[in-house]
Amino acid sequence: MKDCTATVMSNNEVARDTYLMVLQCDLPIAVPGQFVMVKIKSSLDPFLRRPLAILHYEDGRLELLYKVKGKGTTEMAGKKKGDELSVLGPLGKGFSVPAEGEDVMYVAGGTGVPPLMALAEHLKKGRMIVGARSKADIPLWERMNKIRGVDVQAATEDGSLGRKGLVTDVVEDELSGTKPRVIYACGPNPMLKKISQQARKAGARCEVSLEEYMGCGFGVCSACAVKTVAGNQRVCMQGPVFDAALIGWDS
Amino acid sequence: MIDTSVRITEGLSLKNPVLSASGTFAYGEEFSEVFDLSILGGIVTKGLSLVPKEGNPTPRVYETACGLINAIGLENVGVDAFIAEKLPFLKKFNTPVIVNFFGTTDEEYESMAGRLDIEGVSAIEMNVSCPNVSKGGLEFGKYPDILERLVSKVRKATKKSLIVKLSPMVTDIGAMALAAQEGGADALTCSNTIPAMAIDEQTWRPILGNITGGLSGPAIKPVALKIVWEVSRKVRIPIIASGGACTWQDIVQFLLAGASAVEVGSASLRDPFCFSSIIQGVETYLEEKGLSSLHDLVGQLKTS
Ligand SMILES: Cc1cc2nc3c(=O)[nH]c(=O)nc-3n(C[C@H](O)[C@H](O)[C@H](O)COP(=O)(O)OP(=O)(O)OC[C@H]3O[C@@H](n4cnc5c(N)ncnc54)[C@H](O)[C@@H]3O)c2cc1C
Ligand SMILES: Cc1cc2nc3c(=O)[nH]c(=O)nc-3n(C[C@H](O)[C@H](O)[C@H](O)COP(=O)(O)O)c2cc1C
Ligand code: FES
Repeated sequence: MKDCTATVMSNNEVARDTYLMVLQCDLPIAVPGQFVMVKIKSSLDPFLRRPLAILHYEDGRLELLYKVKGKGTTEMAGKKKGDELSVLGPLGKGFSVPAEGEDVMYVAGGTGVPPLMALAEHLKKGRMIVGARSKADIPLWERMNKIRGVDVQAATEDGSLGRKGLVTDVVEDELSGTKPRVIYACGPNPMLKKISQQARKAGARCEVSLEEYMGCGFGVCSACAVKTVAGNQRVCMQGPVFDAALIGWDS
Repeated sequence: MIDTSVRITEGLSLKNPVLSASGTFAYGEEFSEVFDLSILGGIVTKGLSLVPKEGNPTPRVYETACGLINAIGLENVGVDAFIAEKLPFLKKFNTPVIVNFFGTTDEEYESMAGRLDIEGVSAIEMNVSCPNVSKGGLEFGKYPDILERLVSKVRKATKKSLIVKLSPMVTDIGAMALAAQEGGADALTCSNTIPAMAIDEQTWRPILGNITGGLSGPAIKPVALKIVWEVSRKVRIPIIASGGACTWQDIVQFLLAGASAVEVGSASLRDPFCFSSIIQGVETYLEEKGLSSLHDLVGQLKTS
């Protein structure tokens, strides 16, 4: 983990209220599923850093894909080329690498796209299912479709792109055909819980990337506790990627 | 030569006045990957209890203007696991280890203090901002008589330097400080987080899983500064400041108000690398002001 000054190269709206920020910075090597803590301003407000998944990092070029939610991400959206912010990372544990020839599926709901796109671009194989309210909410659709070896489908609640319905409906259909050996998922907790059950029924391994409010992002404050069969674990240290079978979904 | 060292008690001398704070440093392991812990004036551990504690439901932290509210719920590994698994690691660094602890009854506090009276522990810091289960949940740190009795019992259970960490939200902080001193405290930490809450106006629900929590960070610094100043005029024992310190300027201000050392908590969640520049800043300040020792600053606030 390193704290580095990062310079904004570009920061553009790529879907409704969703921005792709490209930064120049010098982080250690990262694996898909890891995240960074971004200090948006050097002044004391906003005080805490914001956790964001690494969409892509290579040769000093860091990509973050974020949805504008509140104070911090609104400030971020106002950043211009040449502005600086501070990036702490890489943090947490990423996705496991599937064995050679293992069939994989990626499921992204809401703001769950970045870590899964990172993984799909890295593995260059498998099926990807992206869910959102509407077509306008799905970021980087063209780029996703260009990932070599990855087949992409969408589910939208209003039917404006792909199938009308929930991402878990598409997963259900897909699982009635060829069953993947591994399902990787990120999105709202109810969706992850459902996918974890679907994976179990299909006999597939399932890894989920969890979101939790964070104080530090590097393991010292215990803010990000998640209940697992092995007791409390910290999303920022033992996660954010967990084996779905170990999560206490109902607590 | 610039001397940044400070003697808190017979058994507790610090090479500089900058300490970590309880609950923002865990047991040192993660921070040891970030910087050499030996540069610190001292390490204050996460608050320990007699048996491990799971803590509160999430969300456990929420940011507010220039600070955060936390309701971790004192999740900790318990004193036995601390002694077996965490203390041996902390002992490797060339800096005092101050163990923070709490209980729910007088007996639990006494028992904790007894167990921590071991080699490798330099001092113990008592968190008294906790509900007393045998008194219907009233906080130990809210009533002078209850506090004095508790501290005097703990005093008998340990030969270690005993630091009492006061609650800020009391009618008369001076009276609480005197009660702790009368009970036999060697030093005071001023002070803990300020009770606080956050509400979501859209859902009409509290944001924290525990409904309420404690406010920390720069938002509370002016309050902590005033508490340190007030307490320092009441007691003869040393004071360790806690509340919002982020920069070397903050450290100097707390020293002027009457503190002998300062804990840095929330600032290190935001900036894990902050300690070395804060320590360096204090040293440079002494040099530039032509002061030979930290003692030239402590309590030197000019009010007339
Ligand atoms: C490991 C991890 C990776 C993430 N990756 C991404 C990503 O790649 N893209 C993306 O758009 N979002 C991501 N999120 C969610 C993102 O961190 C929040 O949307 C963001 O912190 C909101 O900040 P804000 O200031 O705009 O909102 P505010 O509501 O003003 O934030 C107030 C406080 O609450 C925290 N908070 C609010 N919502 C969340 C949330 N859902 N999760 C965690 N903390 C929250 C903030 O960090 C801040 O401390 C990730 C979260 C985690 C834990
Ligand atoms: C996440 C978190 C956990 C804390 N845990 C403890 C604890 O276990 N025991 C304790 O005495 N104080 C605890 N505190 C209080 C701090 O030690 C400190 O007194 C307070 O946060 C004010 O200082 P600061 O503004 O520098 O953080 C905690 C604070 C935070 C933010
Ligand atoms: S956010 Fe502090 S421990 Fe995970």
